[in-house]
Amino acid sequence: MALSDSHHSPTAASPWHLLARTDVLAGLLFIAIAVFGLWVSRHYPVGTALRMNTGYVPRLLCWMLLGLGVIVAVQGLRSGAPTIKPLHAAWRAVLSVTAALLAFAFAVERLGLVLAIVLLVGIGSFATSTLRPLETAAAAAVLIVMTWSIFILGLGLTIPVWPVW
Amino acid sequence: MEFFSNLAIGFGVALTPANLAFAFLGAMVGTLIGVLPGIGPIATIAMLLPLTFHLEPVSGLIMLAGIFYGAQYGGSTTAILVNLPGETSSVVTCIDGHQMARQGRAGAALAAAALGSFFAGCVATALIAGFAPPLARVGQSFGAPEYFSLMVLGLVAAVVLAHGSVIKAIAMIVLGLLIGLVGTDGNTGGQRFTFGIRELTDGIDVATIAIGVFGLGEIISNLSRPEEQRSLLVQRISRLWPTGDDFRRMVPAVLRGTALGSVLGVLPGGGATLSAFAAYAAEKKSSRDPSRFGQGAIEGVAGPESANNAGAQTSFIPMLTLGIPGNAVMALMIGALTIHGIQPGPQIMTERPGLFWGMIASMWIGNLMLVVINLPLIGIWVQLLRVPYRFLYLAILLFCAIGVYTVNNAASAVMLAAFFGVVGFVLWRLDCEPAPMILGFVLGPLMEENLRRAMKISGGDPMIFIDRKISLGLLVAAGILLVLVALPAIRGKREVVFKEN
Repeated sequence: MALSDSHHSPTAASPWHLLARTDVLAGLLFIAIAVFGLWVSRHYPVGTALRMNTGYVPRLLCWMLLGLGVIVAVQGLRSGAPTIKPLHAAWRAVLSVTAALLAFAFAVERLGLVLAIVLLVGIGSFATSTLRPLETAAAAAVLIVMTWSIFILGLGLTIPVWPVW
Repeated sequence: MEFFSNLAIGFGVALTPANLAFAFLGAMVGTLIGVLPGIGPIATIAMLLPLTFHLEPVSGLIMLAGIFYGAQYGGSTTAILVNLPGETSSVVTCIDGHQMARQGRAGAALAAAALGSFFAGCVATALIAGFAPPLARVGQSFGAPEYFSLMVLGLVAAVVLAHGSVIKAIAMIVLGLLIGLVGTDGNTGGQRFTFGIRELTDGIDVATIAIGVFGLGEIISNLSRPEEQRSLLVQRISRLWPTGDDFRRMVPAVLRGTALGSVLGVLPGGGATLSAFAAYAAEKKSSRDPSRFGQGAIEGVAGPESANNAGAQTSFIPMLTLGIPGNAVMALMIGALTIHGIQPGPQIMTERPGLFWGMIASMWIGNLMLVVINLPLIGIWVQLLRVPYRFLYLAILLFCAIGVYTVNNAASAVMLAAFFGVVGFVLWRLDCEPAPMILGFVLGPLMEENLRRAMKISGGDPMIFIDRKISLGLLVAAGILLVLVALPAIRGKREVVFKEN
């Protein structure tokens, strides 16, 4: 805490500090999406109001989003606008949840439901430091039985259960 | 009497054994996720959307509706016993409900919440049955310009009634409209924002984006902050029935909450959460002794809990009669209907009376079941609260993955949902409400279609939206709402309504 405070005061006046404002970041995000959308749609035929072509509405919306993004960002520059607080556990959660889902997506049709669940639960368990390995294994076992009985036995979904050779 | 013959059709459909079972299932699942903090009705309905593939449309809708209003019942249990909102719509119930529990009156608080909800549910059901047919007749006279203006009004109202920054909410709607355009343009066949990815040519499924933003985004958000200390206050709930004095205080609160919730639920952007906040503010204001609030006033439980259930149910009215979703849950309901090839709108009542009235009748039956599920069986739900979140999130994560996979029958959709999970987390960090985005996402293609049709009718002249009287009226209403929310006096009030703690 003391460390961050000493770091805090000399940089308070620098323009980079304003980036920590929630609304500045939100506004920049909207602007970035809008600019990206305008760039992607640069070759879309626009047409006229009477005959709207593929690009008419998308480009209209991108310009609107751009304008709104600027307003949000400017609002964030006002003094006293809320700042974003660092969350140290966030990266861990973001990465493990995403990785767990990607592993599930990769595995479900190739390795079958059981191994896909093992991968999802195994990788997903890294999202928190509170799960013990034995607890993770027990959770995986319970979830496999539950999923199998609801989706395969109960609903008769045709998801491969075991690896397809 | 048309009213009673309609209800007779409805009960005929709702009372079949299968539909009774689905209403019960919906009510149980709704109570379950209502009790559990960290998972809400939007994510749950999105996850269960694929299951409705295999059901009759009416059975699927009965179940999904049960989840939505069932969650309003369950949410109060956690609020009262643990001082954590099980749902966002029971945030205000924590204030007085938990104080009552601390004074050993948890039973009375739970009963006030459940009985108030039941009364509100009955009234709301009757309101839907009474008001839906005339509204649908109005809807049938609408052309493309009127529909477009109605959707503009709906989106504006959704912004005004949401909490937080108005500009950010509008930006979120526009973002949702943009995401709704991804895929093939139905009119010209052109590809939009598909980046050459084959899986995107059919557009993004509403369940995928909702599971991503609400289900997965919430998991990441919950995990990245320290787990709340859950202290279950009451080991045994001794006395369920409120005292005579409680009843005297409860009844007017329930009536006021029901009236307020019924009105706010119909408004676009309204629904359960707004109704509960507004009802709490109203109770505090109308009380002779406002200092009792925060100290365990039973009105502070009965009013908001009646209001959130009334609001949850009357928010079905615009969806069923006009085909326009007022909140994210209704947007998913429209998704459930389109899965079965049913276009929601005013014609639904005449073309599928069984579906329409069956669902309404099931709401009353579902509410009756919920009183039983929530009061005598309260002990079961209390036990559930002992399951720590570290086990819960693994189960939610898995059901999200399977839900997305089965609704699209493609593994690529799971990756897309993972992407939207990160998006949901980023939006949460930046204080951007995702619900308006989902509304925009669902309304985007509809709005573009009606805009194009209107332009064709008028020969490219945008004045058509002003020349048509109904369209003009709707746009003026939208304009007035925007001006109102910009006025400092109203803006202050709006913030007060949402910051009642």
